[in-house]
Amino acid sequence: MRTFPFGRHNRLTTVALVASAAALTLSACSVSGGSGSTGGKVTLTFLSHYGQEPLKSGLTKLIDQWNSTHPDIQVKQQTVSFDDLLTTLNVRQTGGKGADILSSYALWGGQLAATGVLDKPSVDVASDIKNNYSQAAADAVTGDTGQVFGYPTEFNTYVLYYNKKILADAGYNKPPTNWAQLKEIAEKTTAKDSSGNYQIEGLSLIQDGDNQTAHPFLSLLDAAGGKLLDAKGNSALDAKAMSVMQLESELAKSGVTTTSIMPTKTFPSNRVAMAIQASWWIGSLKEQMKEDYANVGTAPVPGPEAGEKGSLAYAFFTGVNSGSKHKKEGWEFLTWLNSAKNKEGVTEMGDFLAGNGLIPPRKADAAILGPKLQAKDANLTPIYDAASYAMAESNAANAYKAKTSLHNSLNEILVNKAPVDQIFKSLASEINRK
Amino acid sequence: MTGLYANTIRETASQLDAVMGLSAPSRAPSQRFRREGRAGYLFLAPSLLFFTVFLILPSFFAIFLSLSQWGGYDLTQITFIGVKNYSDILSFDGTFVSPILVNTLVFAALSVVLAVAGSLLVAQCIERLRFQGFWRFLYFLPVVATVVAIGNVWKMMYQPSGLINGLLNALHINSVGFLSDPKIALPSVAVVQAWASIGAAVLILTAGIKAIDRTVYEAAEIDGANSWQSFWGITLPLLRPSLLFVFITQCIAGLQSFALIIVMTKDGGPVNSTNVAAFEMYQQAFKFGAWGTASAMAMALFVIIFIITLVQLWVSRRAGDDD
Repeated sequence: MRTFPFGRHNRLTTVALVASAAALTLSACSVSGGSGSTGGKVTLTFLSHYGQEPLKSGLTKLIDQWNSTHPDIQVKQQTVSFDDLLTTLNVRQTGGKGADILSSYALWGGQLAATGVLDKPSVDVASDIKNNYSQAAADAVTGDTGQVFGYPTEFNTYVLYYNKKILADAGYNKPPTNWAQLKEIAEKTTAKDSSGNYQIEGLSLIQDGDNQTAHPFLSLLDAAGGKLLDAKGNSALDAKAMSVMQLESELAKSGVTTTSIMPTKTFPSNRVAMAIQASWWIGSLKEQMKEDYANVGTAPVPGPEAGEKGSLAYAFFTGVNSGSKHKKEGWEFLTWLNSAKNKEGVTEMGDFLAGNGLIPPRKADAAILGPKLQAKDANLTPIYDAASYAMAESNAANAYKAKTSLHNSLNEILVNKAPVDQIFKSLASEINRK
Repeated sequence: MTGLYANTIRETASQLDAVMGLSAPSRAPSQRFRREGRAGYLFLAPSLLFFTVFLILPSFFAIFLSLSQWGGYDLTQITFIGVKNYSDILSFDGTFVSPILVNTLVFAALSVVLAVAGSLLVAQCIERLRFQGFWRFLYFLPVVATVVAIGNVWKMMYQPSGLINGLLNALHINSVGFLSDPKIALPSVAVVQAWASIGAAVLILTAGIKAIDRTVYEAAEIDGANSWQSFWGITLPLLRPSLLFVFITQCIAGLQSFALIIVMTKDGGPVNSTNVAAFEMYQQAFKFGAWGTASAMAMALFVIIFIITLVQLWVSRRAGDDD
């Protein structure tokens, strides 16, 4: 009596196993559905977040240039917003529709490399990146095992932006060079109305987008000589990190910094005295502030003592999907995009980046374009200088998760005024839990 | 009596055998049942296939993943790690138990209470109005609208310069940071969740109210009961099955809420105050590539929903709503 139902169960189990195996095999086998090949002509798909002007038309111009000179390897753009880039990349990859060429934030590089999404570049490409790009840019796109993810593209460093007029009105004609001065100037420049609403925020420690409180903190941490993560993604938080948290806590408690004011909106209207921000910001400040841009100054992010300075450097990279059927063609295109030089001897990518207010990560491009651009705008000098000493943002497999934990912990300090030692301990254990 | 019954069965069976030409009396029904069984399974096959592919297999895969470490994409990289994911997420020094699970339960409780109370009030009011169909249609509209549209409209109304703060300012009340104050961000989103789900609940409760026998109200009226007494003594007890259904479905929807959170607060902020389990699962899987952790969280949420639903059913059965 009991053999019959068991036999039926066995059959059902077999059917279920076969169905699941088939479903899983199908999903595993179809890693890349991006590229196509007809009659010897290869079409590569290129997923990026350059979907808005002027970056979109700038990149389209370069791709059109490639397509017109390489009829056998055509490149087709796919763009999404930055907020959707990682999710799109994940979903398409899982669904077997991953693009052949990927533009990715270097922070995600370790995660993508660990899961086998990224193809390893050739020795020539890897050595070109290691030797000819600025140290911070090369570090940002190199994993803990030495794997290079791809060519560095968007490259940013962090500096202290300050409003010369607000500082002068408070009696200061120079930006702060250590933390004591930073606190003093922030306190003197902060102004509130009778209801307690901010008229001028002394120091902003937050920014738009995904980075929020993390990048200003990491810039101060580098200035103090500390790190967030070691090469394996474990917590590297120490007394130096505790001192930065303490600094931010004191600034928040004294009311000279707040997360309720977004500097991208208020700094241009002369309502923020100082802000730690990325280099890309300079372009939008010029556009928004017009004549008032003359009030803007930049300086290195100060360390605890005079003479100490630091910065965070982050980058994007363009790499090739390991599941692509046309990896060789993908690298061929990327090598052209990042190496082919124009009449001025600058790479197409370097020219494109500099034209959009970003630092060209290739040293030769920066050497040609840097002095020209700095001659036009002295505020670019601290930004270009920072490329030589900035700490590259970690790209360990758990870096994104660790950065999100850092942001939440900093918000506890800045918004909820939580005790620093408690937050410090819980952040370290959260990071190490991976 | 028993012997007579047995004889009748035997006679009927032998007559059936004679008609169908079967020599062995016990094989005929067995073969027929098998044939019918096969036909039944054949008819069920499309539904079974659907459930197997989209429900059973993913469920087993999720259970397996919850005991593994996996970054996504490559199935050969799944590593079995036992209950480590569970011990990590259920650790009290982590963020999943508090604030994420606490937020999830508070959010569900607030949205359920507001939605059930609101829908009961609206259903009761509609019952006394003319053009009932129009009013039901009006309250059902948010159910048809997309969560993204609802979330964005409310987000604008909650802004410091938005409609609600404008009204408060007109009454000489200071602006409220509905979505920027960690203390009130979660209740602010729960209000929207409740508002958006009132329409469906109103339909169910209106149908429940209409099913109550009018003569019961007439008898109560003759006995001198006022409207309030009729509501407490008649409507509410007789509406209990409908209320239970609304309660359970709203509770599950509240515990699984995700889209509204991501639209209104984007990252579960400020300071994790609106981070709920479903949103954290999404972050773990699609942002951090921690599919094992995300699956363990999904299993934890499943157990919580299962227990809450069982408790609700048990409470209801004790109160006599079995039918």
